[in-house]
Amino acid sequence: MTTFTKIAWRNIKRNTWRSSITISAVSIGLAALIFLKSFVDGADMQMVENYTNLLIGHIQIHKSGFQKNNEIENSITNSYVITSVLKNIGGISSLAPRIKDYTLISSSEGSSGILLLGISPEAEQKLSDLHKRLRKGKFLKSGLDSEIIIGTTLAENLKVDLGDKVVLMSQGSDGSMAAAAYNVYGIVESGAEEIDKNLALITLKAAQELLVMGNKISEIVVKADKINSIDALSMEIKNNLDTNRFEVLTWKEVSPMTYQWLQFDQVFTDLILFIVLIVVASGILNTVLMGVMERIREFGIMLALGTKPQQISGMVTIESFLLGLIGTFFGTCIGTGLVFFFSIRGIDLSIISSALNNFYIGSIIYPRLDVISIAFYSSVVLLVSIFISVIPAKKASRLSPIEAIRHI
Amino acid sequence: MNRATIISVKDVTKIYREKHSRIESVALDHVTLNIEEGEFVALAGPSGSGKTTLLNLIGALDKPTGGQIIIDGTPLSTLNSSQAADFRLRKIGFIFQAYNLIETLTTEENAEYIALLQGMTPKQRKHETFHILKDLGLEAYLRRRPSQLSGGQQQRVATARAILVRPKIILADEPTANLDSKTGSALIDLMYAMSQNLNITFVFATHDKMVMDKAKTLIHLHDGRIVV
Ligand SMILES: Nc1ncnc2c1ncn2[C@@H]1O[C@H](COP(=O)(O)OP(=O)(O)O)[C@@H](O)[C@H]1O
Ligand SMILES: [Mg+2]
Repeated sequence: MTTFTKIAWRNIKRNTWRSSITISAVSIGLAALIFLKSFVDGADMQMVENYTNLLIGHIQIHKSGFQKNNEIENSITNSYVITSVLKNIGGISSLAPRIKDYTLISSSEGSSGILLLGISPEAEQKLSDLHKRLRKGKFLKSGLDSEIIIGTTLAENLKVDLGDKVVLMSQGSDGSMAAAAYNVYGIVESGAEEIDKNLALITLKAAQELLVMGNKISEIVVKADKINSIDALSMEIKNNLDTNRFEVLTWKEVSPMTYQWLQFDQVFTDLILFIVLIVVASGILNTVLMGVMERIREFGIMLALGTKPQQISGMVTIESFLLGLIGTFFGTCIGTGLVFFFSIRGIDLSIISSALNNFYIGSIIYPRLDVISIAFYSSVVLLVSIFISVIPAKKASRLSPIEAIRHI
Repeated sequence: MNRATIISVKDVTKIYREKHSRIESVALDHVTLNIEEGEFVALAGPSGSGKTTLLNLIGALDKPTGGQIIIDGTPLSTLNSSQAADFRLRKIGFIFQAYNLIETLTTEENAEYIALLQGMTPKQRKHETFHILKDLGLEAYLRRRPSQLSGGQQQRVATARAILVRPKIILADEPTANLDSKTGSALIDLMYAMSQNLNITFVFATHDKMVMDKAKTLIHLHDGRIVV
């Protein structure tokens, strides 16, 4: 340990009370920041997971142009081209073909415009959570081609129940008028309005028949092994498919509004980061500056003896850095500890969970321990403690020794 | 014995100008003096006579308004501030009136501070520090902080720190002013013994009659001029 580090360190110890307050402020600020970030990340992750699992999936592959123009003319004729490519790509948990069409549904009591999905029941159960959200009845099975599953609000609006008949009306791919009757087989209650009010499911085969589509499908939905590998997986699929014929979209591109909403809370975290940095910076600045003001005569003596101004300012910087380092250490430990504890135990927000349900967050949130963001925030706090020392360090190194020695 | 001049002050004037005003005070008024190697010199004079100002100029802590100062062959006017710092570190030892020491360092660490800046090897440093502190009767206080030492002990630590690296010149600005006269005389005796053993030129400012009497050479200052 050099003499200057020794002096800096002892100076921190000399003002135990003042240093402790500063170190506590740094620790608490950083811990709060780490915890908040992990909480938001955890909630985001849950939201993405719940949202994508419920219906939309992680990646959707369409015929080019389908996203812009959801017409059944824009459907995939040769889906085996896609499935054979996907077979050779790792990191895919499951995939399911779908037909997507906007149709009119009606009962004797009313009618409503809805999104109709034609699904392959077995594949769909591996990909989406719709089958887990049945309030009544059962999920579709292959061969049940005249059964239909509808949302709970839709059922209320149409005043239908299990076993009742509903009629779907649309336009077939050949331009003909398409209409058929189905029995209500299950009623889904997801908590998400657009599903409960606007969704109906029939089998893929039933949909192909209704819409005169032959073997065509609208999309192949892909579920990745891991939420955070979606982007990479999408890139790999794009690289292996003819992107002139097919479009490969992640859920963020399929549902940009939801994605933007998620980005918004990141802004909130950044704002808190900024506030914490100001608290940290002013705490350290205050302590170090006071320490400098108290030692003006001592610095004067040191300068007179031949100490270089850079050595003096270096010493002040070390002092600031040490305060920051200790604060960062405790802050990181406390923050990580809290996150770790709650990532196992979860934070129960059931008091306000009915509000959260609409955002696809469950009532228990599990903060997500992310080493990279912990390292990032800790380094930022540490860097701030070094940069803020420029002010007192300059002040100390610019002292004139004669005047400093006259200073009592 | 023909001894070399080590401090040469030629026609030096120092005028302080208050910031943002035209008030000037002449602290030194055409001062000329020579001090030879190994001399033990007292700068005597009442408060405000210019003793501190002269010591600061000789010690390259400040620049004169007029005239020239040559220390051990180096004209001080040729040094920039970083060279001046280095010059002070290598050639000059300083002892101030009081509170000379770094508050957070122990007796031992304060004493070796300059040796450390100069880059003396740890082994030699420890050896020299121990011996000098022993010679100055401080061996029982090695681990103490300045606040745990008496005023006289603190001044002895400052003396040890200055002497340890055998500078050519030691400048002491009223080193006994905060001490009782018995302790002050003892300190001056100690400084004299050290300077003779090690051939260090010693210049100290004082306005204490008893301390002046111990000097081998006496220079009287009054209103910034040398009086004979
Ligand atoms: N930094 C300064 N600014 C203005 N005037 C000063 C300054 N330092 C000393 N003086 C003036 O110069 C004169 C000599 O002061 P000084 O050298 O401190 O005398 P001494 O050390 O003998 O008491 C005094 O009149 C003092 O007021
Ligand atoms: Mg004085």
